[in-house]
Amino acid sequence: MNLMANILLNVTIAFLVGSILLGFQRKVMARIQMRPGPPIIQHLLHTFKFFLKESAFPKTAAMPFYIAITAMLCVIWVAAVIVGPVTEGSLLLFFAIYAIHKIVEHNAGSSSGSPYGKLSCVRAVFSAAAEVPLFAVLIIIYLKTGTMILSSIVTYQNQHGALLLSIPLAALMFFVLILSKSPYSPFSITKGKDIVSGYETEHLRGYLMFSESISWYMLLWIFLTVFIGGLNPVGYLIGMVIITAFVAFINALTPILNPNHSVMTQVTLAFIGIVGSVILLLY
Amino acid sequence: MDISILGGPILGIIPLGDIVLYFTPFNLFMFAAALAFTALIAISSTESQVEAEFGTLKNREVKVDKAEFKLRRFLAIVCGLATAGAMVTGDLFDFTLFVTLIGIVNIGIVAAVKEIDVLDAAFQYGLIAMIGTLPLFGGAALILASTGTISLLQIVQIPYTTSLMLFGSILFFLGVAGETGVAPFFATKAEMFRTPGSPFLLIIHLSSLLIIVRTIEILLIINKPF
Amino acid sequence: MDQLKAVSWFVFIISVASILYALIINPPYWIVYAISIVFIPLTILSFGLLSMAKGKKEEEEDKRREPFIGY
Repeated sequence: MNLMANILLNVTIAFLVGSILLGFQRKVMARIQMRPGPPIIQHLLHTFKFFLKESAFPKTAAMPFYIAITAMLCVIWVAAVIVGPVTEGSLLLFFAIYAIHKIVEHNAGSSSGSPYGKLSCVRAVFSAAAEVPLFAVLIIIYLKTGTMILSSIVTYQNQHGALLLSIPLAALMFFVLILSKSPYSPFSITKGKDIVSGYETEHLRGYLMFSESISWYMLLWIFLTVFIGGLNPVGYLIGMVIITAFVAFINALTPILNPNHSVMTQVTLAFIGIVGSVILLLY
Repeated sequence: MDISILGGPILGIIPLGDIVLYFTPFNLFMFAAALAFTALIAISSTESQVEAEFGTLKNREVKVDKAEFKLRRFLAIVCGLATAGAMVTGDLFDFTLFVTLIGIVNIGIVAAVKEIDVLDAAFQYGLIAMIGTLPLFGGAALILASTGTISLLQIVQIPYTTSLMLFGSILFFLGVAGETGVAPFFATKAEMFRTPGSPFLLIIHLSSLLIIVRTIEILLIINKPF
Repeated sequence: MDQLKAVSWFVFIISVASILYALIINPPYWIVYAISIVFIPLTILSFGLLSMAKGKKEEEEDKRREPFIGY
């Protein structure tokens, strides 16, 4: 297939599946809280709706940085789609993409001059201290499989069985990372309702939601590829639905944590994960 | 070990005498990202922070004045270029120099701010950065002593890891952690972000995160687990 | 037509043209990656800026001046 067509197709799939999964997550959360909840396509509809809504550019914003930072979020997740489903490239590159995602989160908050965004920005820096160690799960995968290239990791799993069974603590760490990126999660301090959704408040909302759908799809895709491996498209879809439902259960039943508690919980989990995995690898 | 199992296949190298720059997709992506953010900073104006006033219902805007703006923009661009350089260099000593430059410039970016809390945080971060210089250069020197080279493309050919290389890389990691102010030292650094002047603050965070990602690659090159 | 709209139209046309170029001509792979990383987001951004609603002229100044308390 033509490379560009392949990329466009994968980006479109990532956007549509990601949006519907996020809508599904809201639906499951609503049912747990005994509400009827919005339809599953609500997130997708919202994305389209926000493309038609008016956006004002505040006088206090740092132009043109204020617009470019939202484009940056889209750029890195399109790059992630190319590294992931299109070329099955290096896992280390995902680490870089995730690091830049944290930077975008931080600066989308501070670029508008809004006090809520500013708080979100400071919280993004705090949470980076906890989420980057969680991403260090990559090193454990490297120590186990001897490679960082996704296609080789899939081959390794075809020969030795799923990594989910051999390094479960690493999978747990990655799951906590996915959980922290989901909406309404106990760790989503940067998007907390106490700071009016933080950095998301005043940017081009439809555009941000587009990138977030892709990022949700990609995080689940990496989890399934790295820890289960060698799935067909239906397998991916089932896996994503299961993880999303599981995340929805956790989010519906937990309150959003105070920033300090959130960071300390993540750091503790990261510490347990790294030390535990290294001990498991040695013995 | 082959370097391509870490960041993907090598797309090209630029030999500048002793210093060899190499590009894998991983290095190239981070290099491009650092340059893109630097370019954005160079053309952007700053935000003005809106704060609530005590005793009234009015808001107060905190602006960055022109002299401060020019100084901070210059330092931010230097920091961005140093970050971009550190992403592609294939020379360990070169990398440590870039990291120390980033440490110095990061303090400079917030040093012109007239807020006591921010200056306190910058002062404490500066102390850690200075202390971090010793293990940083010491670690690089130990790696040089134990391998006989500081070129990463040479080190990657060495089939074994000695305990001195491991010790050197632990020191090296401590140095980078102190210099960029990550994980255990981040609490003091986060206070620095409360100042107005958004696009310049970006580069402080950007440089530290990208340097850490690159450091992980370098440590995996030096220490071969199998 | 104001400046934002003109720039958006310009970026939109350029990015759609380059995506079509990569689709039809099939250039070397690194050009396709560069085009897709830069121009797919730009297409959507410029489309968003073009498709968003425009408020009344007299209200715009208020919205820009007090964006965090008005709504």
